[in-house]
Amino acid sequence: MSRKFLISNNIRKLRFFADEMTQQQLAEKAGVSRQTIIAIEAGKYAPSLELAFRIAHAFGVKLEEVFDYEVREQK
Amino acid sequence: MSYQVKKTMASILSGAAVLAAYCIYAFGRYQAGILSPVDLKSWATTMLIFIGIGIAAAVVIQIVFHILFSISIAIKENVKNGKCDEQEIERTIKVEMIEDEMDKLIELKSMRIGFIFAGIGFVGSLVSLVLNYPPVVMINILFIAFSLGSLFEGFTQLYFYRRGVMNV
Repeated sequence: MSRKFLISNNIRKLRFFADEMTQQQLAEKAGVSRQTIIAIEAGKYAPSLELAFRIAHAFGVKLEEVFDYEVREQK
Repeated sequence: MSYQVKKTMASILSGAAVLAAYCIYAFGRYQAGILSPVDLKSWATTMLIFIGIGIAAAVVIQIVFHILFSISIAIKENVKNGKCDEQEIERTIKVEMIEDEMDKLIELKSMRIGFIFAGIGFVGSLVSLVLNYPPVVMINILFIAFSLGSLFEGFTQLYFYRRGVMNV
């Protein structure tokens, strides 16, 4: 049995509730490129703790509301 | 397509062009009998010249690419907003060209692939000496392996930009 760690996020939902904030605007607020925001939103990149906090700060919410951590057991 | 992806593609193109030019020039002269397989000095001189050309080409292509990219952003802004606001264009260029943690991670991971390839080339060049091939084969394997390593580094970067990269 092996473990798989999954980090999911609610960035798309949070952008929607933030008056349909664009990826570009979020990238500017978090100080990264739009490409990085796209990758994070699609689950293709797990950001560093600092960037995760910056994204949460950009939405004005707590970290747990943006990212979710899940452990899956695999055969 | 992001700025980093385009920059990597420009770098791959310049690297491939220089390697192709070296192969055509050096092996063409070798086949014509101008470059002798025992004249290592001439081979080394040719390689040094092409290393210089490679560096110069990379710098020139990056500058030209930077200028073209800035112009394309200015045109896009003009089409979108119907006016050419310099501050807005400068801000967009700054945001597009930002190099963040994901870019650095991708660069590190792809550099590792490049070094692995160059390392294999180095071992291959030593094996060629053990197998009694002339030293000119060794230095050519070294030169081509390092050049291909650099190209593979670029291709790996493109792969990571497309498929994503994890912090593990």
